[in-house]
Amino acid sequence: MIGNRVRAVQEADDAGAIRIRWIPKYSAMERIFHWGHTVTFLMLAMTGMILFFPLLRPLARGDGGQLIRLTHRGAAIAYGALPLIYLILEPRRAWMSLKSVFRVGRYDIEWVKGMIPYYMFGRHEAMAPQDRFNTGEKLNAAVIILGSVVFAFTGLLMWFGKGFLPIGVFQTMVVLHDLAMIVTVCMFIVHLYLAVVHPLMWAGLVSMRFGVTSAAYAQEHHALWYYGPERAKEIYESQKNEGQAK
Amino acid sequence: MSRVAMLIDESICMGCRGCQVACKQWNDLPAEQTTQRGTYENPPDLSASTWTRVRFSEIDQGDSMQWLFLTQGCFHCGKPACVEVCPTGALKQDPELGIVTVQQDLCNGCGYCTQFCPFGIPRLDTEVLSGEGKAFKCNFCQDRLSNGLIPACVKTCPAGAFHFGDREAMLAEGKARVEELKQGGFPNANLYGEYEMGGLGRLYVLKERPSLYGLPENPQYPVLANLWQDVLQPLGTLAFGAAALGVLGFFFVSRRNIKMEEVE
Repeated sequence: MIGNRVRAVQEADDAGAIRIRWIPKYSAMERIFHWGHTVTFLMLAMTGMILFFPLLRPLARGDGGQLIRLTHRGAAIAYGALPLIYLILEPRRAWMSLKSVFRVGRYDIEWVKGMIPYYMFGRHEAMAPQDRFNTGEKLNAAVIILGSVVFAFTGLLMWFGKGFLPIGVFQTMVVLHDLAMIVTVCMFIVHLYLAVVHPLMWAGLVSMRFGVTSAAYAQEHHALWYYGPERAKEIYESQKNEGQAK
Repeated sequence: MSRVAMLIDESICMGCRGCQVACKQWNDLPAEQTTQRGTYENPPDLSASTWTRVRFSEIDQGDSMQWLFLTQGCFHCGKPACVEVCPTGALKQDPELGIVTVQQDLCNGCGYCTQFCPFGIPRLDTEVLSGEGKAFKCNFCQDRLSNGLIPACVKTCPAGAFHFGDREAMLAEGKARVEELKQGGFPNANLYGEYEMGGLGRLYVLKERPSLYGLPENPQYPVLANLWQDVLQPLGTLAFGAAALGVLGFFFVSRRNIKMEEVE
């Protein structure tokens, strides 16, 4: 904690400005993939909901409705192709990220416990050290990945299986597709809030835009990634003791 | 006027397919190119341009054979699943006559009606890749009805197997005919459609069990249509609302507690 922070503050005093040390976090491919997926996800959600909510019925009608269904299919191809293209372009990094998303450890459980005190009340000592993705980001990624698998499977069956599949199977696919939509859109709302609006996570949007994050931010939010497991644990324990002493 | 129904006496039908032709002629539907499949039944199935069709079932009964005819078409259910699942409102149930119609200019070709009808009646004329198309099915000649005429198939039937009118009257007529058949040596005779799916608008007098005609013995309203429309849609609204409200609450609480000057 001490090193960078103190130096940064002193220099800033001298220069009369805040100086931030930037460190790389996301590769260009990762960012293009993330934003491509965001855009296609939103297109799919908006066009899909037109067939889902009775309130949006007027938009689903006639030729306009056909255009909306066509857009949904086009966006679905892009949405499905993007992760596959990313996997081909950066297989090792993709594999690393995937592994870290689905790895659940002690600190994830502590993150869940410290979530409300930290994000709602700003109690910094409540936060367990996190990897390059914190538990919340991991949860978001896992829900979106699993949701996308459900979307692809049920969507393809509805697209090409109409008339061949027994109607009971088709009906189940409709229901599963909609369930996946409800879960992922709720996740999206929470993700949007934390990544764009929440004051503690200001660097999230910056790093997804420019690929870099502030070192001080990484020290606090991604200690496990920044310091490595041993040093991160040491810092965490001492902070916790300090917190208890207070 | 109250709810109407079509009563088809399949014990009288001789399989001439006049109804098929009259339907095509009145609704201006093109003929289909088909191949000989070793049966008089033709075309092989209902389609976007064949809204009614006589199904020929050959039933072996020991040393004899029963040749059963069934004029297929929309059942105009009392509780139609297709209307419930249609996302555009193109499928409607007439509040007075109870007939179920498709308004093609509203239809966007999604095909949910084809997948939720327990009888598999609506058909899609569709491009698989783009999904463009429209749904079609028998509409009881809505245009004729509204001008005081009876449907074309009913009008044309040379055997007099078709009856059309007030549903109560059709039910009474059907029941009387079933009694007659039972006494005349058809112990399995029955009236199909009195209670199924909220009461059907297409009633059949059958000589044999419905399954021998290829009809579902006990058609059920699809449970998943209810789950989808009555549970998932409100649940979706509720979930999005809860997520948005939760986030908003979170925003106000955290804004008060988190001091920006302490944020790294």
